Amino acid sequence: MRSILKSIAVFSCALVMLSGMTVGNAAAEERIIIDGSTTVGPIAKAFAEYYMSLHEDVNITVSESGSGNGAKSLINGMCDIADMSRFMKQKEFMAAVEKGRMPVAHVVAVDGLPIIVHPGNPVGNLTIEQVRDIYMGKIVNWKEVGGPDVQIVRVSRDTNSGTYETFETMVMAKEKIHENTEYVGSNGAVRQRVQSTPAAIGYAGLGFVDRTVKALKVNGIMPDRNTVSSGTYPIARPLFMFTDKYPKLGTHLHAFVSLYLTPKGQEIIEEIGFIPVTKY
Amino acid sequence: MEVGTRKLLDRSFTSVGFFAIILMGMALLILLQPIIVRGLKAFIFRGTVEYREMSLEQFGRGNAEALARDLDEALEARKPVYDILDSFEEEMKESGPEFRRQYRSDFSELKGLITELLGPREGAKEKALIRKKYGQTRYDRALIKLHQVLFVEGYDYSDTSGMGKSIETPRAELFAGTTIERLFGVLESDIEKMLKPKMTLYWRFLFDESKDAHFFGGIWPEMLGTLYLSIGSMIFAIPLGIITAIYLAEYAGHGKFVSLLRTCISSLAGVPSIVFGLFGLAFFINTMHVSSSKSVLAGSMTLALLVLPTIIRASEEAILAVPRGYREASMSLGAGKWFTIARVILPAALPGILTSTIISLGRAAGETAPIIFTAAVSVGKPLGLFETLSQPTPALPWNIYNLATEHEAVDEIRHVQYGMVFTLVAMVLLLNLTAILLRARITKKLRG
Repeated sequence: MRSILKSIAVFSCALVMLSGMTVGNAAAEERIIIDGSTTVGPIAKAFAEYYMSLHEDVNITVSESGSGNGAKSLINGMCDIADMSRFMKQKEFMAAVEKGRMPVAHVVAVDGLPIIVHPGNPVGNLTIEQVRDIYMGKIVNWKEVGGPDVQIVRVSRDTNSGTYETFETMVMAKEKIHENTEYVGSNGAVRQRVQSTPAAIGYAGLGFVDRTVKALKVNGIMPDRNTVSSGTYPIARPLFMFTDKYPKLGTHLHAFVSLYLTPKGQEIIEEIGFIPVTKY
Repeated sequence: MEVGTRKLLDRSFTSVGFFAIILMGMALLILLQPIIVRGLKAFIFRGTVEYREMSLEQFGRGNAEALARDLDEALEARKPVYDILDSFEEEMKESGPEFRRQYRSDFSELKGLITELLGPREGAKEKALIRKKYGQTRYDRALIKLHQVLFVEGYDYSDTSGMGKSIETPRAELFAGTTIERLFGVLESDIEKMLKPKMTLYWRFLFDESKDAHFFGGIWPEMLGTLYLSIGSMIFAIPLGIITAIYLAEYAGHGKFVSLLRTCISSLAGVPSIVFGLFGLAFFINTMHVSSSKSVLAGSMTLALLVLPTIIRASEEAILAVPRGYREASMSLGAGKWFTIARVILPAALPGILTSTIISLGRAAGETAPIIFTAAVSVGKPLGLFETLSQPTPALPWNIYNLATEHEAVDEIRHVQYGMVFTLVAMVLLLNLTAILLRARITKKLRG
């Protein structure tokens, strides 16, 4: 019996030791917890790794659970920064204030919202009204907008997403998205759905559009750095990081949310594919 | 029944059983083979000179002198490419605006692609993202990139009845009659000299932190997080589970309440795991405040809840399966009830209890849904033992999902995703194997 207990003890000790191997080197004194938008996610992740490479003693964790969840986390005090691809709603703001939290918005980048289709789709330009009609279910076939005779597959973000809210306000103009629409949980998933479905249409943040999908001209304007930052491209929005009050000067949190103001931060944003707030 | 018929039946039954085993083996093979083959590519691959440069600059590994030599040779081989690009730029400057207009966008696309393939040119502005600082670090990816340089992927829209068909035309055709036409031949024939691929074993994939959102480096934080979560959940679930099992088997009796309790536990085993995740968020974090944000602690507790029913039911069965004679012999020698349970019944039931633990450990390591809201993040440092009480961690199952669906450039880093899958499967197998060996030892001891 004793030897059984001993072998169990040895086994569990080995496991604990294995897991405790990093106790020495990872004595992170400060932590910053980031939650929220999947669109802002790549920026937050790149900033986090850049910042941690400069400050060994800080542990920054990033989760991407959607703008709505980011706001909830901030309201409940579960995160230090809420990434959001839309502004806080009135309800969220009030809930935060009731709990004694004062959300402060930091606009870290600007993002256009490209309408994407499969590259095999001959359609290259839609008006914003056409996009709305497609999502309302008024236009159901690509031939109605100059494409082949194929049923349109509508792909949308889930309703928790800030990208969805942007699309709803800027494109749908209070019209309802047709119920027969596929909802997916992240920008990456929209891209994957569109790149694998020739008849699909979707929308995603600028940083997620690559060679595998085709961004459409909207009202004849291609989404790129110039058209988005000048406001010519009709579907554009700022990307936010929300903190509870303005962070105390001199803290890591302050340095982190100010990263986007530094040349390095703006370069990172640009290299990921988003648009820096200023022409630094 | 005749002896002959019986033998025949017996044999056919054996062969059916044999066939079933082969079928299962094949199914396993079909399932595991791609995981293993593709997963190993994260560890063993042909690394280019760019990889060795990255390894030296980012991780301080490798032989600086050998790298400098390799780099020199590679740059020498790349020189013709850059010469051609430069001379074309001259050509553009000298010729008329029409020529410039014709080639400008094609040329800048080509330059961009070559930068992606070979890395930024010497003397170019330093890039901010690590992924942009180097060319292709893996030769298999480099060949795909090369293909993109050599061929333009276009679509033929002439058939208006359906979607366009993908066609590839040589990029050289775009530049027909210009100096740049030669470039493609040079690239195609000298790509090996330009990148100098070498077989590379990157076992540190397991023990490195990721650089630039998993573009480079390894998966140590994820692995450690998975270990913490699975062991942590066991720390909560095993004592609770065994104590409950002892109560149910030895003390509870057969009342109505107890059978209701048993039914509840059984149905708890059937609750979808995402429900446990949401419950963990609502109860452990928002109500009990075990930690101010997501944390390994909260995640372990949630996972413990998830595996608890399995452990309770299996342990109870194991305890009930201990022969009555053991109990009676112990009692007749004057031992009390508690003493009998602790020194006679539990040791005899230990193999069965361990089996349930093994199954649960594997399940806890692989579950995604319960940790989404309670413990898992996509980027974070490896945690120290005490930081697990208050901080969230990356974990393999969640990060596999995260890479597959949310990463902005997942197509470039599929090998990392497969590497993670492979590691997770291997980890669960290894944990199980250890526990199985342990159980075998204990069983042998008990018999002897």
